[in-house]
Amino acid sequence: MHAVATGLLLLPLAMGNDYVLHMLTLWALYSLLALSLNIVVGFLGELSFGHAAFFGVGAYTSALLVMTWHWPLWLAPLSGAGLAALLGWLIGYVSLRIVGPQFAILTLGFGAIVLTITNYWVDVTRGPMGLSQIPAFALPSWGWDFSQARHMYPLALLLLGVVLYGCHVLQHSRQGRAFVAVRENPELAASVGINVFRTKLLGFVVATALAGFTGALYAHYLRVITPDVMSLTYMSAMLIMVVIGGKGSLYGPVLGALLYTFLLEALRSTGAWRMVVFAALLITCVVFLPSGLVSLWRRRKEATT
Amino acid sequence: MLFLQQLLNGLANGMGYVLIAVGLTLVFGVLRIVNFAHGEFYMLGAYATYFAMSMAGLSYIPALLLATLLVAGLGLLANHFFFAPLQKEHEFTMLLSSLGLALLLAHSAEAIFGADPKYLDTPYADATLDWGNITVTEQRLLIVGVASLLILFVYAFIRYTRMGQMMQATAQHPEGAALTGINTRFVHSYTFALACALAALSGALVGPTTMLFPTVGDWAVLKGFIVVVMGGLGSITGALLGGLILGVAEALGGSYISMGFKDAIGYAIIIAVLLWRPQGLFTPGARR
Repeated sequence: MHAVATGLLLLPLAMGNDYVLHMLTLWALYSLLALSLNIVVGFLGELSFGHAAFFGVGAYTSALLVMTWHWPLWLAPLSGAGLAALLGWLIGYVSLRIVGPQFAILTLGFGAIVLTITNYWVDVTRGPMGLSQIPAFALPSWGWDFSQARHMYPLALLLLGVVLYGCHVLQHSRQGRAFVAVRENPELAASVGINVFRTKLLGFVVATALAGFTGALYAHYLRVITPDVMSLTYMSAMLIMVVIGGKGSLYGPVLGALLYTFLLEALRSTGAWRMVVFAALLITCVVFLPSGLVSLWRRRKEATT
Repeated sequence: MLFLQQLLNGLANGMGYVLIAVGLTLVFGVLRIVNFAHGEFYMLGAYATYFAMSMAGLSYIPALLLATLLVAGLGLLANHFFFAPLQKEHEFTMLLSSLGLALLLAHSAEAIFGADPKYLDTPYADATLDWGNITVTEQRLLIVGVASLLILFVYAFIRYTRMGQMMQATAQHPEGAALTGINTRFVHSYTFALACALAALSGALVGPTTMLFPTVGDWAVLKGFIVVVMGGLGSITGALLGGLILGVAEALGGSYISMGFKDAIGYAIIIAVLLWRPQGLFTPGARR
């Protein structure tokens, strides 16, 4: 099963169509991002509207460290992830005591402040102009340039595999079960000795670190970023991927990212209507299919067995 | 003198925020929905007024009333299809549903009306009143006047009418209210339509003070959230005080600190309020 999937995913490499490979690379990166949001939305069961900010912080930190301070390229993305995690720890530490709609509004506020700072701290971030000419990862001696889709795609796929495996292990670990317990019934979870606050904080920090790391990969791949990556548009896109695909599941966010990337491209000619289609899909899933598209497959499997 | 002018501007803007926030706080109080789509009803109110004036040739006030009615009807439909079926679900689901509705309305508006900004011209937008060095446009005075009347009206409505008391009962305890024979579904629809009408009215009134574009709903709902969080979710007097504080804080902060960070002031306020008093500044003790 997994071998077949991997084979299918590697097939486009042999065909060498750069456009398809670029779309697939974006899909893999979006999948990483959706998986990170899924830790908060799916596992912890809290709606965060600040996730795009961590993606942006990772992207900006990594790009600026390399461009302004000439850090080595392999260290910068890790530092991007680190700063996103640190910020995630800070924001999580103060806001995770609050739950429900108030938490959503609070993270919205933090996200908006990070976006405002990025927009107006022009000396460092170049403001709304964004950063361009960001150096790409490269292995010159092997002739690899990771701003090329045919080189970036295998790397992104590999990382996606690693993160998926990590999420799988997490889901079935003691910690993962603690996440679900906290989501389903915090009082009960606390009564069996789970530290609810620390469990949530841990999940939040892991999610923000992954979002920051993905942001760094994204920045060095596309080589251009603007403060838009922190906007509500990106935030809604992420939520659409997670909810349509299936929140709380392993493959749901990956499926959601696939649908988002390719359907968005297929509908490009319809202009503004394409986002109408996604909004309609989002509502349909919320009302009729709360566990997302992956639950269709699970349902069919249950029906046949 | 500059200080007085800024204070006055702040109060006028603040009344606009109050108008946006009242509907939001009603919907939260009675239906327990944090309605992300509230800003879109504001946007639709402004656009409906614009088209009623430019295409149907109505003058400003009739156009405004027509827009309010139209959007209230749309609100009834929205509640029927997107919120009523989910009433028994977790608040998380409602939040996602309202986000979906917000995206649907905003992007439909972009597809239909176009992304280019429009300007809602009213007879009061350019007329000014001056006292010495202090200047106010008539439009802002209109906002302040209508908003003050509406707050009084909504407050009295909830306090003294039968429908208002049914809304209070539903807000306090939906099952208990239903047991005493209150049709809670009807109360929900009624409240949602009322909130949408208020949003549309605020769009028609506040819309002329800025350019009009399909994403203006984001701006409106964020201001609304800040006010509602400050005043306490579900509280009308809280929304009034919160709106005025936000308006004044933005006006003074914008002129004395930095225009660029003006929008960040509101976010800083909600973060401080949610961490310090999550139930709102003016609500005594925990309500839930």
